[in-house]
Amino acid sequence: MKRISQDCQSGLPDNCAVKQQQLPAYRLQLSANKILSGFFATGVFCLGVGVILLLSAKTIKEVEINYTEKCANCAKLRENAANFDKECNCSIPFFLPETMKGNVYMYYKLYGFYQNLYRYILSRSNSQLVGTDVKDVRNCAPFKTSHNGIPIAPCGAIANSMFNDTIILSYNLNSSIHIKVPMIRSGITWWTDKYVKFQNPSFQNLSSAFAGTTKPPNWPKPVYELDEEDPGNNGFINDDFIVWMRTAAFPTFKKLYRRLHRIEHFTEGLPAGSYSFNITYNFPVNRFRGEKAVVLSTLTWSGGSSLFLGLAYVVTGAVTWLAFFSMLAVHLRLKERKTFFLQQ
Amino acid sequence: MLPLVAVLTIIAIKDGLEDYRKYKLDKQINNLVTKVYSRKEKKYVDRCWKDVTVGDFIRLSCNEVIPADMVLLFSTDPDGICHIETSGLDGESNLKQRQVVRGYTEQDSEVDPEKFSSRIECESPNNDLNRFRGFLEHSNKERVGLSKENLLLRGCTIRNTEAVMGIVVYAGHETKAMLNNSGPRYKRSNLERRANTDVLCCVLLLVIMCLTGALGHGIWLSRYENIPFFNIPEPDGHVISPVLGGFYMFWTMIILLQVLIPISLYVSIEIVKLGQIYFIQSDVDFYNEKMDSTVQCRALNITEDLGQIQYLFSDKTGTLTENKMVFRRCSVAGFDYCHEENAKRLESYQEAASEDEDSPDTPSGSLSNMAKPRAASCRMVRNGPLGSVSSDHLTGSCFALGSGEGASEVPHSRQAAFSSPMETDVVPDTRLLDKFSQITPQLFTPLDETIPDPPLETLYIIDFFIALAICNTVVVSAPNQPRQKIGLSSLHGMPIKSLEEIKSLFQRLSVRRSSSPSLASGKEPSSGVPNAFVSRLSLFSRMKPASPVEEEMSQTSKSPQGSGNSACPIETEKQDGNVGVTNGKVESLPGQPLASSLCYEAESPDEAALVYAARAYQCTLQSRTPEQVMVDFAALGPLTFQLLHILPFDSVRKRMSVVVRHPISNQVVVYTKGADSVIMELLSAASPDGPGLEKQQTMLREKTQQHLDAYTKRGLRTLCVAKRVMSDTEYAEWLRNHFLAETSIDNREELLLESAMRLENKLTLLGATGIEDRLQEGVPESIEALHKAGIKIWMLTGDKQETAVNIAYACKLLEPDDKLFILNTESKNACEMLMDTILKELQKKNPASPEQASSEALHQPPAAPDSGLRAGLIINGRTLEFALQESLQRQFLELAARCHAVVCCRATPLQKSEVVKLVRSHLRVMTLAIGDGANDVSMIQVADVGIGISGQEGMQAVMASDFAISQFKHLSKLLLVHGHWCYTRLSNMILYFFYKNVAYVNLLFWYQFFCGFSGTSMTDYWVLIFFNLLFTSAPPVIYGVLEKDVSAETLMRLPELYRNGQKSEAYLPLTFWITLLDAFYQSLVCFFVPYYTYQGSDIDIFTFGNPLNTAALFIILLHLVIESKSLTWIHMLVIVGSILSYFFFALVFGAMCVTCNPPSNPYWIMQEHMLDPVFYLVCVLTTCVALLPRFIYRVLQGSLFPSPILRAKHFDRLPAEERTEALKKWKEAGKMDQLTSKYSDHSAVKSERIPISDPSAVFAVMSATSCAVEQGNLSVCETALDSDYSENKASGMAGPSKD
Repeated sequence: MKRISQDCQSGLPDNCAVKQQQLPAYRLQLSANKILSGFFATGVFCLGVGVILLLSAKTIKEVEINYTEKCANCAKLRENAANFDKECNCSIPFFLPETMKGNVYMYYKLYGFYQNLYRYILSRSNSQLVGTDVKDVRNCAPFKTSHNGIPIAPCGAIANSMFNDTIILSYNLNSSIHIKVPMIRSGITWWTDKYVKFQNPSFQNLSSAFAGTTKPPNWPKPVYELDEEDPGNNGFINDDFIVWMRTAAFPTFKKLYRRLHRIEHFTEGLPAGSYSFNITYNFPVNRFRGEKAVVLSTLTWSGGSSLFLGLAYVVTGAVTWLAFFSMLAVHLRLKERKTFFLQQ
Repeated sequence: MLPLVAVLTIIAIKDGLEDYRKYKLDKQINNLVTKVYSRKEKKYVDRCWKDVTVGDFIRLSCNEVIPADMVLLFSTDPDGICHIETSGLDGESNLKQRQVVRGYTEQDSEVDPEKFSSRIECESPNNDLNRFRGFLEHSNKERVGLSKENLLLRGCTIRNTEAVMGIVVYAGHETKAMLNNSGPRYKRSNLERRANTDVLCCVLLLVIMCLTGALGHGIWLSRYENIPFFNIPEPDGHVISPVLGGFYMFWTMIILLQVLIPISLYVSIEIVKLGQIYFIQSDVDFYNEKMDSTVQCRALNITEDLGQIQYLFSDKTGTLTENKMVFRRCSVAGFDYCHEENAKRLESYQEAASEDEDSPDTPSGSLSNMAKPRAASCRMVRNGPLGSVSSDHLTGSCFALGSGEGASEVPHSRQAAFSSPMETDVVPDTRLLDKFSQITPQLFTPLDETIPDPPLETLYIIDFFIALAICNTVVVSAPNQPRQKIGLSSLHGMPIKSLEEIKSLFQRLSVRRSSSPSLASGKEPSSGVPNAFVSRLSLFSRMKPASPVEEEMSQTSKSPQGSGNSACPIETEKQDGNVGVTNGKVESLPGQPLASSLCYEAESPDEAALVYAARAYQCTLQSRTPEQVMVDFAALGPLTFQLLHILPFDSVRKRMSVVVRHPISNQVVVYTKGADSVIMELLSAASPDGPGLEKQQTMLREKTQQHLDAYTKRGLRTLCVAKRVMSDTEYAEWLRNHFLAETSIDNREELLLESAMRLENKLTLLGATGIEDRLQEGVPESIEALHKAGIKIWMLTGDKQETAVNIAYACKLLEPDDKLFILNTESKNACEMLMDTILKELQKKNPASPEQASSEALHQPPAAPDSGLRAGLIINGRTLEFALQESLQRQFLELAARCHAVVCCRATPLQKSEVVKLVRSHLRVMTLAIGDGANDVSMIQVADVGIGISGQEGMQAVMASDFAISQFKHLSKLLLVHGHWCYTRLSNMILYFFYKNVAYVNLLFWYQFFCGFSGTSMTDYWVLIFFNLLFTSAPPVIYGVLEKDVSAETLMRLPELYRNGQKSEAYLPLTFWITLLDAFYQSLVCFFVPYYTYQGSDIDIFTFGNPLNTAALFIILLHLVIESKSLTWIHMLVIVGSILSYFFFALVFGAMCVTCNPPSNPYWIMQEHMLDPVFYLVCVLTTCVALLPRFIYRVLQGSLFPSPILRAKHFDRLPAEERTEALKKWKEAGKMDQLTSKYSDHSAVKSERIPISDPSAVFAVMSATSCAVEQGNLSVCETALDSDYSENKASGMAGPSKD
């Protein structure tokens, strides 16, 4: 008979909280007080953060000089592809009204350059860049090989279109003394890029490492001769190259070019005064109706000079407070009505 | 591609499993075995059902299911009758008689299939269960007509007939049962269909977005006069034109944005449904201890349809009722005996029965005659004065012995086929028993002498119970008789002979023992259950083959069984007379256990209930033959009534009569039993016994009428019992006329009716009975709740109109003050006209309450104002046939939609399914069909949701159903709670899925504006895949399975909340578009906040994508948190797990992937960002701004314009006491609304109600228009229609005359 009683229980479902859907549940219907205080707190937080961000963005000094038009003659020269080996220099003087304190970074900025086109960003060979196989050019169409079939290193459209203007900043102490502002090339890339993602093929001699490859069509020099001053900055681990290879998210972008070496006059940063950019104009922007500029900027913890984030926080905080007040009004009115109802 | 394959595979596997289950079941039925005659082996051999073909001879034994439609050629019954139970076909559980084909009746021996040379011709297979035409042509060209009386239908069960033989005329799919089965329909849930259209919307959206992309790319390209060097030319060097570029871009964009189409939605829906089903099945509330079963979800894909049901179609028998007729009370001679003990017993029955079954010590509890100890003991005490003190104990011990050998199973299972102990055991009323004790044989024995008349009341009581016992067509049998017969036949090969032998043998024995109920006991000892007689029987059977004397003794077996049977009682009666009254009393001791083990099989369960009631008062129907009825009346001993005539029940007369010769008074007595309205009219105006009695009769009549009204009010089925004493001359005269009527050829029916009228008048009222067709537990409450939930309930039954209406009242489908419209016409025109009239009537009412009409008009065009005037529609099968014709469909539907409840009686299975189909397809509503028998199968299959009740009537309904429950009452929780949950959960989840996909994919789309529409994604490819597949897939599934907007308790208490699902409020097209709009907004925020933050900076593509992804993840998950109404630790776990898995993946991927996955190369991006405060600031701001509007909306909605659901949800948060308080308040508020409207309606109705002066006049009108507006026991609900009739008399008469 025990068997029967067991049988009787066999169909009985488990009576536990999970199976009976009786789990204790936290219901997100908050009380008015909680919601109101929540909104208030959020408003305070947003306003606070917004103000801090705005203040910190205010401390940033930034100078941007667009030299597309200023070097019009060079631009014209570059429109004709036949003149590719002709050098064109252009000097742009400017006046810095205030000292730029702290670390100063020099960027080049491109307008209307779509570095984020789908096929463009595909056109690179990561395995080549990491140094494992210099001749791996599979993904690099249409810049895989030269006309005679020699693999290009670094291959691909990104590398081929590398920004190749040279920008030199000089400080004009007075009309006669022009001091070349000391700039550091290193440290402008992500550490991981420089030491992990981009590696030269392991050969003693760089040029032999790149033997059997050819330079990209647009490049005047092969990759192992990118930096004539610092032999350690050649090949795939060239900082400018690495920076360029990190494709920008938007068609208007700036890329870090140099940072101020804070020695001599420049220990405090860039002192106020007149400066000039000496630019070797190579990169043609007129072909895609683009523009280029050079940017000097300081940085804070909150990034660049954009006021947007701070403003957005302030606006959000304001909206939250607005919501808070309107909800408070609604709540008070409802409460009034409720008590009225109860008194009846 | 991969997700699509996965989706299809999962769905295929699931459907495959379902199909396999069906296949196995089919196989099981196909391989059932039956005895088919094999010409090769010249004997009956076992063969599978699937191998039965037309022309096969099949031999079936009692309780076997008929495998194919066959013409009955032979029955062991001497009259050539075979009893079948058709519950599998039409749900009626009473027995029906089928006749052996004329010409074969006379043959005693079985038809030899070898010699069968006739030709059978019959109509082609059709689905009409009530028609069969054909003929059987003998070799001598003589033709014998075949009718449905000769046809045994597949799916029926042979009952009470030992063995039958027939020839198959329709087999397999051609059988009427199968043709009535319209076949399964592939069910697709409503919500999923809605979701599919919205998926199409998404496709449209995708195309628009892709077109935008293509156009944008073309324009972008054409902006450049010469090709910029960042735009890469084709591999062959030339550059494509902007138009072609745009064209290519279109397809690129489709590949990029295809995530917008939520393919994973389908997988998630399937998973969620499985989860929902798991929870439904593990709900303890659905557990039925008695059957050890819980709810079974057989269809896996329509759970949410449970939450949207608008129309419910219910079977009556076995679904609403237990199909157990129970004697409740009676009124004899103007006194009401309310049988309180009996009522108590019935109330406590459920638990007690289950206790009995569980308890190992009383296996006899399963036997019919052993009531539970409580009942037995109380009966014992009461039986005391009657002399048969320990009858129950005797039986009990007898069977306890037997069950020791494990044989108790068999009688029990057989018992279930007839009547359960609940019906058979009646606890007598104490007052009535007291009066019984006054009955002594002395009252009658010296009848001729001039002893003062016994008190009239006592006479009435005696007559009343005799009428109950004999005025019927009940067949008496021992419970396990057929089983015994089979056993014997295997012994001797000649079953009938040997049985007769036993009978005759036993007669001798009974003479010796002078035991009056010997016939019954003669069958008893041979049963499988050993009892006191077993040893004796075994002696006989051993004796038999050896004794030639027995052959002589069995001469009676040659004559029809009836006379053979009667031989015994007559003999014993004589002895009784000799021995005296005391003998009779003594005999009742051993006789009683046997009597109570008798089984009564009646054509209608009411009759059986009455006979059982009579038995409880020691007035036991012992045997019945065509000539005689033997009743064992406690104090008077056995009485044998010579049966002179039976006027069977018919629906026109609504009564039946028996004419008997009373054994004591030797007078001819007519006992009549029938509907109260009819009997009351036939009572004699002037009593033959003098004016004093006349007065008494009038009083009695009034009192009884009061009792009857009370019975009706309690939902009991009432019957009046009356008698008439005729003089021999009177009877002789009537008989002559009746004979003339019977033999006349022209309008025989009418003459017979007249003849019956002549007999059944000048009746003396004896009393009335109230029988309860026991509703299943909790049915009225469930129906009430479902009504409140806005579900329209139709009752579709094959049963009689009176019964159906009675039950409708009992289960609160109809309320006493409902207006009732009855559609019962003989012609289509009349039907149309009647519907017109009713419609006008209803329309007249409706404008009176315009505010309700407007509030309710949202449902569907012909919405019924169900809070205002409640109207019920009764329609019978024949009229239904007209109404289902195409020309009347619209009208019928409009009418039905205006009615609050509809009852269809006498409906065939096919009609049931047609009604469901009609309502489903024309009113475009969600339908649910619930039933328990094979006759409900087609209805269950046609409805959107089919529910089977696993009951007594086999498993066909369950097999065809989508959900199987064990009791009707579970339906309310299944719909109100689980249906609501499933629907809200799933619709919210689907909406959430659309939102999720649109919100995320749009990020990619917005980016296209900044990359020249070149199809770049700023997200790593793997993150893109995993975002939908891993990081955001589990939370919505959990949400879909576990979300609980309102607690089960509140949902049950407030059925009104169900309307939310009916109106699809959770998932309206508008909701979908609002959701999409919100998704667009959120994606805009999620894209442009980071965009403006990083604009002009040196950020690269994938570093820009990282905060976007992170913010999107938080937005999407927190959106879910805002949307879900309840969060359990499972939710928390899954959400936190999702976030962690995202970061884990991003970090690990960022650390490991140096060169993999070009072009994105996510190397060290996440690590870099984790150290950047701007990243956090961006994510926080984005998440806040994106979710703020929805959050504010939800907050304001909660306090400013809460929906009922939200208000109910609020209740759940209150502590228990406050909650009940609040619920009460709510209900009162709701009632106030209803009441105000109801009152206005009431007054309207009352003013319309015209008192009916002359019912017969109304009847005349009704017959004139050939539509009967029934009054009967529905006197409360005469409708204003009646008055309409008298007004429209002229037009009504004109109606039918037109055709």
